[in-house]
Amino acid sequence: MAEQWSGFSYIVTNLARFIRPHEITFSGVNSTPPMLACLLAKRAYDWDFVYINVAGGVDPEPSAIPVSSSDPLLAEGSASIFANEDFYDLCTRGRMDLTFLGAAQLDGSGCANNSCIGEWAHPKVRLPGGGGGAVMLPTARRACTWRTEHSKRTLVEKLDFVTSWGGMHGVVTPIAVFVKRDGKLALQSWHPESSLDEVRQRTGFGFDATGAGPTAPPTARERAALQSLDPQGQFERDAAIRLR
Amino acid sequence: MSSGFASKDKAVSLSELVALVPDGASLGLGGSFLHRGPFAFVRELIRQEKRNIEIIKQSPGYDIDILCRAGVAARARCGIVAMEGNFGLAPGYRRAVEQGHLKLEEHACASLTAGLRAAAFGVPFMPCGGLHGSDLVRINGWKAIDDPYGSGATTYVIPAIAPDFAVIHASSVDRQGNVRVAGTSHWDRIMTRAAKSVLVVAEEVSDEPFADQPELTVVPYFMVRNYAIVKHGAWPGSCWPFYPIDYPAVQAYLEDGAEALARHLDAAPEMATRAEARQHG
Repeated sequence: MAEQWSGFSYIVTNLARFIRPHEITFSGVNSTPPMLACLLAKRAYDWDFVYINVAGGVDPEPSAIPVSSSDPLLAEGSASIFANEDFYDLCTRGRMDLTFLGAAQLDGSGCANNSCIGEWAHPKVRLPGGGGGAVMLPTARRACTWRTEHSKRTLVEKLDFVTSWGGMHGVVTPIAVFVKRDGKLALQSWHPESSLDEVRQRTGFGFDATGAGPTAPPTARERAALQSLDPQGQFERDAAIRLR
Repeated sequence: MSSGFASKDKAVSLSELVALVPDGASLGLGGSFLHRGPFAFVRELIRQEKRNIEIIKQSPGYDIDILCRAGVAARARCGIVAMEGNFGLAPGYRRAVEQGHLKLEEHACASLTAGLRAAAFGVPFMPCGGLHGSDLVRINGWKAIDDPYGSGATTYVIPAIAPDFAVIHASSVDRQGNVRVAGTSHWDRIMTRAAKSVLVVAEEVSDEPFADQPELTVVPYFMVRNYAIVKHGAWPGSCWPFYPIDYPAVQAYLEDGAEALARHLDAAPEMATRAEARQHG
């Protein structure tokens, strides 16, 4: 039986829940889930925030939702272009409230490997690289990421390579939400159709689960917002995210 | 001799523009991922069988992938490489790094920009925020310096990066070679200031007087060595506001094998322009 709350919706919705009122929030390249999370938050929540993105948009109103999260559509309706140098400089001078960053591997302190599987100089797999990560993760006020696969090869005890240090504030997978507590990722909640046991079994690092419980289900407005962003379910199909 | 390119007669064909690039040159490419990259220029590098080219770009994708696939690129400095959208990793690039055919200097996007800023500002290195704790520092041998003014802060410094050429795809140029870009300029501005000279491929020559809105000009003509006009030259990527990404063409490009690559090169818009020029020529 299909799950009641798809992994795709779980990730996008829980990324959106990391966004806070009035804060400057950034979404980058190769980042479809956080792009959708920012657009969802604009539609589902009563409060506003400053949404900036890698296409140079500032609070854009795109006429369509692009497949590429760096598409120029994401600057439509923007009254300014806040280009690549601008948002990196904003971050390093300490004024980026929240940035979303990608990660191939994460460790228990929320550091990220985006570079390689195996040894850097002779990689078994050459990965895309960290983009903004090495500069943004240690300088943004908060950084959050997602993994579409929750497994011991993505959530590891030791990274093959530390592309970005500084520790994510939040991590969302198809079955769990982690937040940073005392410098370590702690379990905040698990997918209502998963369990603490399953999260432990499928996670390569140890974590504190004090106070964790099932994730609050999506509100009607969160559901409606995601539905309006992906009316045909194309993003959901393309993402092909499974709980197990 | 003048330091700039004072000539006001800069129009050349795409093949003449690419012929300016010698084997072994370093090229800073404009755009980002599948958006407004100088892709017609990149394909012409392949047709002219350039070798040992260095690619400098914060977020290349299709461009570096096809240059790896065709054996043109030998070295690269970049921050993140992917086809993006639903296409994921860039397979030609990935293979080239894994098999040792492409020598990679891996950056964060902002550390590469810092190196370009050093070159643009005429100083040997440039501070870059962040980078603390990253293994990129170790593999690149980046040094940290203490604030000489006594704040106690420690900052990494990145050595200057001066590409031989910046190559950008522009929305339009005027007849003198002043360059306009619609929408975000990505890193094109700093790329053109860091490079020793600038080569431009533009969608069109505009007859608008650029002096009416000089703030829209990203690169003044005296920095531009030459330009070529190639309509749809950023294909299969986008060029805002003229055309979006041609996803089926990207899909077809990603098919394996030399034949798929040849078909892709033959389907490129600059081939149509060339055929037309021959008919009229």
